[in-house]
Amino acid sequence: MKNLALVHRLSGIALALFLPLHFWALGQALEGEAKLESFLRWSEQPLVKLGEWTIVLLLAVHLTGGVRILMIEFLPWRDWQKTLAAVAAATALAIGLLFALSSSAYAQAWPQKPVRFIVPFPPGGATDISARLLAQKLQEIWGQTVVIENRGGAGGGVGAAEAARAAPDGYTLFFPSGSVVTANQHIYAKTNYDPEKDFVPVTNVVSGPQVLTVPADSPYKSVKELLDSGRANPGKLYFGHAGIGSQTHLAAENFVFQGKLDAVSVPYQGEGPGLAALVGSQTHFFVGNLAASIGHIKGGRLRALGVTSKTETPQLPGVPPIANTIPGFENLGWFGIVAPRGTPKEVIQKVYQDTRRALQDAVLKEKLFAQGLAPVGNSPDEMGRAMKAETELWKNVVRARKIEVK
Amino acid sequence: MKVKGETLLWVTQRASAAVLALCVVVHLATLVYAVQGGLTAVEILARTRGSVAWLAFYAVFVLAIALHVPIGLRAVLNERAGWRGASRDWVLLGFGVLLACAGMRAVLAVYL
Repeated sequence: MKNLALVHRLSGIALALFLPLHFWALGQALEGEAKLESFLRWSEQPLVKLGEWTIVLLLAVHLTGGVRILMIEFLPWRDWQKTLAAVAAATALAIGLLFALSSSAYAQAWPQKPVRFIVPFPPGGATDISARLLAQKLQEIWGQTVVIENRGGAGGGVGAAEAARAAPDGYTLFFPSGSVVTANQHIYAKTNYDPEKDFVPVTNVVSGPQVLTVPADSPYKSVKELLDSGRANPGKLYFGHAGIGSQTHLAAENFVFQGKLDAVSVPYQGEGPGLAALVGSQTHFFVGNLAASIGHIKGGRLRALGVTSKTETPQLPGVPPIANTIPGFENLGWFGIVAPRGTPKEVIQKVYQDTRRALQDAVLKEKLFAQGLAPVGNSPDEMGRAMKAETELWKNVVRARKIEVK
Repeated sequence: MKVKGETLLWVTQRASAAVLALCVVVHLATLVYAVQGGLTAVEILARTRGSVAWLAFYAVFVLAIALHVPIGLRAVLNERAGWRGASRDWVLLGFGVLLACAGMRAVLAVYL
């Protein structure tokens, strides 16, 4: 018992010396977001972690002694009962603290090998471009290779099915466009994956408007001319997209629906091939993501008629919103990360937090901006809620437009 | 120090210990909730900023520390180093004030 009192005193001295430093560091770190980020990075160093665990141990030891002293003085219990209660209280505290801290410790150990991002479309599309831009930065943060595996087909369904069956160990993550996990299940009579049951949200990485394009030598110079021609010649206009149920398909269907057109849908294996076909005048128009279309527009291969945001986008100055011709029209695309269900929570948190950190990088932001994309980086909970709401929205649109694949 | 003063310190030490035990549990529960819920530090701050309840809680936490630690050190210095008298009490008062100021700075950063 005497030893316990001595340990209580010694742990108290150590904690007393630590506390001013702790308060000072916290006060500094909380001065601004940048300082907080750098403090968090500093706190991930192994030596700092060791200090953190030492403090936890000291706190548990100190509490054991303290609780016991309080009980000796205030409770008419027997000695062994008091010791037992004190040890139980301290153990509970230590377990709680270790539980909280272990999340970061577990996540720190990951990744130990290359991480695979399954992109459900071929290279060159907006999903692929977004994934590759993020992967470059995550590689720096993780010190591990991030491999992009393009698995195109079935409007993203082929890649989704493969990701759904991957081992939920955090080393395979799925990088879809929004529609693959919010609309496809309503469009396809049968899919080999269930977005709700097979995946858990990690974070929405980027979002951005889309752009209505026509071939450079197309006779259509404005949205109005395209609409007038389409309305005058029902069934004669062909529009390409990245596959049934893809984001570009839904955007185009939305344009056709709200523009009161009768146009023919032509599915391709992805946005890249769809845009290549438009460049070759195999179709008449395409509502593509800025990331994939902007290179063709700036290279003079495609002409931009309108953007799907309600206002002009800074990446395409002078291109008017489609809403100028079809009042109220708006359609935004997004690309994010989901993980196979069963992936450790700690890994999901780490991917989410590291993605957020990556998205704060000025160079990455600039590259995304050039592609017409804005960083999002919302939390898994927020992404889950947004996906749920969007799933309901597409369910209604798909029913109304009778979009289906049997 | 007179018996009355010693008694007051003894009571303060025990009362602050009880408050600290409670505060540690609440702080711990909050920490576990935040970490498991996937909140980033920035998101946690977004929730605490402007919240009078969190301000009050952490202010009590810091003040309990600022009382508990110097009184505890006083007993240790007395027993182990044999340091008694006004000089010891002034140094410990200064240490308590330092803890209170540094702690309240952190608390205000969480609130403002």
